[in-house]
Amino acid sequence: MTQPRLSFLLPLLAFITLAAVGATALYGTLTGSRTPDQLPSVLIGTQAPQTPLPSLDQSGSGAPVDLGRFRGAPVLVNFFASWCAPCRAEAPALEMLSDRVKIVGIAYKDRANDTMSFLEQYGNPFAAIGMDVDGRTGIEWGVYGVPETYVIDADGTVKYRHAGPLTREVIDQRLMPLIEGGGS
Amino acid sequence: MIAELGHFALICAFILSIVQSTLPLFGAQRGNLLLMLSAPAAAISAAVAVLIAFGALVWGFLQSDFSLALVANHSHSTKPLIYKISGTWGNHEGSLLLWILILVIYGAVLALRGKAMPLAMKARVLAVQGMVGVGFLAFSLFTSNPFLRLATPPLNGKGLNPILQDPGLALHPPTLYLGYVGLSMAFSFAVAGLITGDVDRLWAKWMRPWIMAAWCALTLGIALGSWWAYYELGWGGWWFWDPVENASLMPWLAATALLHSAIVVEKRGQLKSWTVLLAILAFSLSLVGTFIVRSGLLTSVHSFASDPARGVFILGILLVAVGIPLALYAWRGPQLVTAADFSLKSREGGLIANNLLLVVATAIVLLGTFYPLGLELVTGARITVGPPYFDATFNPVMGGLVALMAIGPVFAWRRGSTPRLRAVLIFASAGAGAAMILLLLLASGVSVGATAAVMLIGWLGAGIVTDIWAQIKPGQDATGILGRARHVPRDVIGMWVAHFGIVIFMLGAVGDSLFSSEKVVRAKPGTVIELAGRMVTFSGIRQINGPNYQALAADLAYRDKDDNIIAVLSPEKRIYNAERQSTTEAAIRPTIMGDDYAVLGDGDNKIGFTLRLYYKPLVSWIWGGAVFMAFGGLIAATGRQRAMRRHAANQQTHLASERGS
Repeated sequence: MTQPRLSFLLPLLAFITLAAVGATALYGTLTGSRTPDQLPSVLIGTQAPQTPLPSLDQSGSGAPVDLGRFRGAPVLVNFFASWCAPCRAEAPALEMLSDRVKIVGIAYKDRANDTMSFLEQYGNPFAAIGMDVDGRTGIEWGVYGVPETYVIDADGTVKYRHAGPLTREVIDQRLMPLIEGGGS
Repeated sequence: MIAELGHFALICAFILSIVQSTLPLFGAQRGNLLLMLSAPAAAISAAVAVLIAFGALVWGFLQSDFSLALVANHSHSTKPLIYKISGTWGNHEGSLLLWILILVIYGAVLALRGKAMPLAMKARVLAVQGMVGVGFLAFSLFTSNPFLRLATPPLNGKGLNPILQDPGLALHPPTLYLGYVGLSMAFSFAVAGLITGDVDRLWAKWMRPWIMAAWCALTLGIALGSWWAYYELGWGGWWFWDPVENASLMPWLAATALLHSAIVVEKRGQLKSWTVLLAILAFSLSLVGTFIVRSGLLTSVHSFASDPARGVFILGILLVAVGIPLALYAWRGPQLVTAADFSLKSREGGLIANNLLLVVATAIVLLGTFYPLGLELVTGARITVGPPYFDATFNPVMGGLVALMAIGPVFAWRRGSTPRLRAVLIFASAGAGAAMILLLLLASGVSVGATAAVMLIGWLGAGIVTDIWAQIKPGQDATGILGRARHVPRDVIGMWVAHFGIVIFMLGAVGDSLFSSEKVVRAKPGTVIELAGRMVTFSGIRQINGPNYQALAADLAYRDKDDNIIAVLSPEKRIYNAERQSTTEAAIRPTIMGDDYAVLGDGDNKIGFTLRLYYKPLVSWIWGGAVFMAFGGLIAATGRQRAMRRHAANQQTHLASERGS
């Protein structure tokens, strides 16, 4: 009789686990401790992956997007997608940042037509846009999901990674010091 | 004054619900008739009280009574009448009150109907329903009082989020809530069954119409939401795998599973504990749906009323409403186990497979929705997984379900196949083959997934048609088609219609994703754009003054090959005065064969305006299919009502004739 009883307890146990996760998240939100933290990334301090990507063809030039082109000044790399809701939330922040630093966009697992509609509706802050259609570049960079932003310094070294939409706080306290400090 | 009356009525409803959730339980345990009868009385009175409260709130919105905090924050005197009314539930407090209103109305309907239902069962079900009511009324009264007054009323309101000022969205929440909350009835039946341990065929018979009703409303509600996203977000897409969408899809999947497993309980007395668990799961998922939307835990394009502080209360309700029934289940569940008396190749087997696939699909959506949240807890990152994940996981599972849908209903109960099975298999395979050939002729370079979807359409469509024909074709007994059709039970007809709705839905989804054309251009007045065999002339931009907004509208004349004007579409960009927000209003010309869809982007007369034009074949079939599904559910539900009434009437005449003799 113990065996069947145990299996009838399973739904309750599963629920308690889920509820605990939800409660922790909620507690974090309420106390304000749940703010986007700095994510550890194996890439930090190393050279950014050099992966030329097909360009989202806007100007008709069609030259592959290559990070090497942006050497000499700090640059932001932003993974985004038209299907991603937080990316829409982040669009104004990127727009604002684009006045101060070059941003390379990488459209992650997206179709060119959808990407274009997205940029059309939410603005295009990017100096260049690479299409990572199969998500392989995303794997190389180790992205968790979109949106995700990297700060690359003038020598092409990854300085910082932020997962999730950029907020005022992250921009002011993390990104801007790195960008204004020449990224070194 | 009226607002205070509403507040008072809400407090009365709270007290009545406490009565409803305690006395009848006690009465049912003791066999006390009077205490049991207090259940319907309390349920009906609570419904009247909440109706008064809701009416008072609507009145406040209609009168633009800005001394009410809610009205001041979410309404504006220049807003059109319909949006003043829909503004009542376009915010957290009001939508919660609507939720409660629907909950108590369900309770009252159960109290008024079902006279033949055993009184003890009715008392217990209503008591559980009352407990849910107590929880949500407390939520409303203690954390989200809609009747709060402002000490210094503003001269005018802040307005309603412009994206919500839309006829589709005026209807969407009530329909969706009718579905969400309808599942509370299944939940109440399940918990009442667990309290006594009496889960039998009769229990399932009384529960099924409620599941059916909730499922129909949920289907329509989700379809309305998707339709709204299609024309209002201006993306041309109809499903975004957004957390709020997923929140409504999960209860739908669970309710669909429940709908099918309850059939097994009613017809065969099997799968009892599983059905009880599904009923709890389905309602829990509706609560989670409410929880996600309200708590602001997840990032969404649809979230418009979120506040983490209230999340605590909802989490508390969730803990009690799900935790206690699951504890009851751990205790009572083992008693509900019956020895399986059927082979896997049977109708039961098919329905179990259906349930497994649907539960796996639910789990996939749950994981895709909450994985980002779990990840956020561990790493602090807030991300989305999005369509790539769902396309790769959810679609194959649902494909399996559709494959099963053609043959499952053809099996007989308990064991074995029917003579119809062979015919259905042959014709369904032929249908799948024909669909594939047709696809190869029409398109090239189609992905494996899309090819499978097209073949499934042929498979299911042909399978259903064969089954219908096998059941109504003229037989040897010289009854014609109509004669035989009249003998087909209403639930079978309902099933055919609902399953055929899936075929229609898939045709729409496939037509849209495989054959859509899209063009993004920067155009000056006079530009002609060619799209999907149409010549579109951009004749210029107009300024429009709406009742509470200013807009720019582009005029686009669509001409067919023979140069006849077939339509003039005027997509707009609106700026709402009160809210200082802008929206894009897509212009759509829907036809059966496909939609012309146009969106106006940024620009000026010097550099031109950006226009986004789509032609989306068959896209409206997506929602047409959903309507079919809901209609099928309605046919089945009403058929059952009639059969029950006839059954009751037969018994009465039987009794009368006995007495007469």
